[in-house]
Amino acid sequence: MPELENPFQETLLSRHRAEPCTVVIFGATGDLTHRKLIPAIYNIAAAGDLPPQFKVVGFARRDKTDEGFRKELEEGNRQNSRQGHNDELWNSFSQCIHYHRSEFEDLEGYKSLGKLLDQFDAERGAPANRLFYLAAAPEAFKPILEMIRAAGLNEGTKGKWARVVCEKPFGKDLATAQELNAVVAATFAEKDTYRIDHYLGKETAQNIMVLRFANSIFEPNWNSRYIDNVQITCAENLGMEGGRGGYYDTAGALRDMVQNHLLQLVTLVAMEPPTDLSADSVRDEKVKVIRALRPLVGPEAVGKNVVRAQYTAGSVDGTPRVGYRQEDRVNPESNTEPYVALRLMIDTWRWQGVPFYIRVGKQLPKKATEISIHFKKPPQVPFATSSMLRNSENTLVIRIQPDEGIALRILCKQPGQAMSMQQVKMDFRYSSSFGKASPEAYERLLLDAMAGDATLFARRDEVENAWRFIDEIENAWHKSDSPPVMHEYPAGSWGPKEADDLLRADGREWRLL
Amino acid sequence: MPSSNLNDSDLDRLGLETPIARIDRALKQLWEGDEAKTRASLINLAIYTEDSCQLMADNDLLDEVAAQHACRALLILALPEAQPPRARSWIQALCRPYQGKQVVCSEQISFVLEGGDAAQVQNIVFAHLDSDLPLVVWWQADLSKNFEERLYSRIDTLIIDSSRWSYPARQFDVLLATMAAEPGGFDVRDLAWTRSHFMRTALASCFQDATACQNLAKLQTIQITHLKGQRTTALLLAAWINQRLKASLSMELIEKETGPALQGLVLEGEGVRGEVRRDCDSCFVRVSSTCGENTREDLLPADVDSEAELVSEQLSRFHGSTLYSSMLPFVRSMLK
Repeated sequence: MPELENPFQETLLSRHRAEPCTVVIFGATGDLTHRKLIPAIYNIAAAGDLPPQFKVVGFARRDKTDEGFRKELEEGNRQNSRQGHNDELWNSFSQCIHYHRSEFEDLEGYKSLGKLLDQFDAERGAPANRLFYLAAAPEAFKPILEMIRAAGLNEGTKGKWARVVCEKPFGKDLATAQELNAVVAATFAEKDTYRIDHYLGKETAQNIMVLRFANSIFEPNWNSRYIDNVQITCAENLGMEGGRGGYYDTAGALRDMVQNHLLQLVTLVAMEPPTDLSADSVRDEKVKVIRALRPLVGPEAVGKNVVRAQYTAGSVDGTPRVGYRQEDRVNPESNTEPYVALRLMIDTWRWQGVPFYIRVGKQLPKKATEISIHFKKPPQVPFATSSMLRNSENTLVIRIQPDEGIALRILCKQPGQAMSMQQVKMDFRYSSSFGKASPEAYERLLLDAMAGDATLFARRDEVENAWRFIDEIENAWHKSDSPPVMHEYPAGSWGPKEADDLLRADGREWRLL
Repeated sequence: MPSSNLNDSDLDRLGLETPIARIDRALKQLWEGDEAKTRASLINLAIYTEDSCQLMADNDLLDEVAAQHACRALLILALPEAQPPRARSWIQALCRPYQGKQVVCSEQISFVLEGGDAAQVQNIVFAHLDSDLPLVVWWQADLSKNFEERLYSRIDTLIIDSSRWSYPARQFDVLLATMAAEPGGFDVRDLAWTRSHFMRTALASCFQDATACQNLAKLQTIQITHLKGQRTTALLLAAWINQRLKASLSMELIEKETGPALQGLVLEGEGVRGEVRRDCDSCFVRVSSTCGENTREDLLPADVDSEAELVSEQLSRFHGSTLYSSMLPFVRSMLK
């Protein structure tokens, strides 16, 4: 029998509605739960967007009571909640939080979780949907998924859904990603699998599609005829603080950032307009971009198009920093790259001959993520010499973080008798134009997962095709007889000289952030 | 109405008095030589009032609203009956710090128009808009002779507060006629309707689960507790409930002297009850729903309350809803 529609609900919301559900967080005692997930759910509650009779169950190995777990989360929420912490709301909200202790490999723990979920359903008087959030270490994903299946929790009961949200990293190469995808696919249907990439939940990342497809002035120019090159920079001014070196040294910038976040940004910039805004229409177009990336096969091609580097001792903001190999929990002989710059080519009609330059690195002078679209220079400017036009191409900058916004650089005539030109910047800033703070990426993504909207989540073929591209580079670095050199740059600089040379060889320069 | 209600110290709060013909030049001078200030504007926001007592409250309100929504603010006090005819104007920047060092500002131009007519109001508004930006007008007065076609045909969003109207039936008639004359024209946002948003959201959550939903047909009565002066707000809420249920439940309105605009809502029928209650000093509402033996309770946000917050809320929504206009005939019939 079809479920009755709530007539009061249908007219209230302009977005997908989160459906009543229980969220089970695996790895509930971890940093992500305390810093991001619970504050995000609390802020959803503060906005009144949480579905009624909502429950959260923290699943982890340590022994805790519900009350003890809530107390710990309260502390995290006080420190991290975007809208602050209200005791009255927390006291009400926290009653929906529960803790379930179990080893990840212990089937009995999952069976007792099932009983707990059934008990919640009985209290509700109706079965609820279930969202399993894998916030544990990546090596635990496989046993968790297998146990969820063995305990029968992957099947929605009485017409309700069961979904899984997977945190990154989704594999460490194509083989492990395929293996993990196979385990996920054996447990959940693809439509119920939500691979999270928090960059896609950021307001400015979502705005790329609006900018491109809702403004008629950009799309006609958004191709190789008018665009000279695209640059994407993701700079961090930190190193391996907080014990991050242990994980990072096994991953590196290419796997940790490029395979997921930066390639996702590339797809948003380069994709064709989707036929509609359904999750699969958007993701179909994104996958086409990843498939069209020109493969970099072999050490020669990689050496020509990719620069990897490690930082040496230096200083950032006047504070001395050690070199990468001297960082806490980093192998002193490490061959992992905290910096990588790439020249990508996308073999489609739209992007033929337009290089996409990407760079990501640690211990750079500042924290900033941005995309810049560099337009071609006009064929002839009668009142300017070529030296006056150096670095003067029209540039559209999409700032992802911090200071989210869009800027357009154009040339103007300087006031006066002479025909002199000057670059000026038209700048739109989210924070000064919209006083209201944007929701955190996790708020948006959690609500989408509860509402069944997978548009901002990566699909299996996106992930695997991205790994297929990345693996070729990793193979050239780590499996070839003549691997490309690992370069160096002093901490606090904008990366190695070789990264500058990568663009200089094409007659271009990195945009100065 | 005599202009003597306005004293000089109040008018000083409107900023720098400037002859109307020099407003553009004065605004330019406001920004010259101050590198630390950034002018921002996303909309033209005009507030029109014919009540001189409202002027300073609106001035304060604009300061709050501009902190959330960068705008060109026009504050217009029209006193059509005042004599002799006179027009005065003031300019000021509404600034707020941004990231500690920079200051982001909106511009406000205030007008006191004594003895003017509709044409004067239109000329004033149209001459001082930030070009290419949408025009949002909060019309605080009755929809009278100054609210005429050449003005409203240029409005993108019209904000009203039907709870302020002395004769709501007559005003709703004008509004309906205006909307009929401008199909696909301006978008109407009624603050009285916005005030009930949290009640509507809370009520929806009462009947979210299947059991409660199945019992909706048993509902018979609506009881709404509201603040004195918010009867129209309560009626809009009741009209919405009846429209959604496709029913005509018996209605009781209880008026209170103090407290928030909407304080309680109870829907009741045989074996089913939904209640939304807001305590005076709480920014949350307590929601309870009973179906047979089962009772469920919840705490939800109570939304915004002050006029500045209500207006900000409206400006945050780019698209209006057709729901409000579809409800107007229901409300109109309840006002007979």
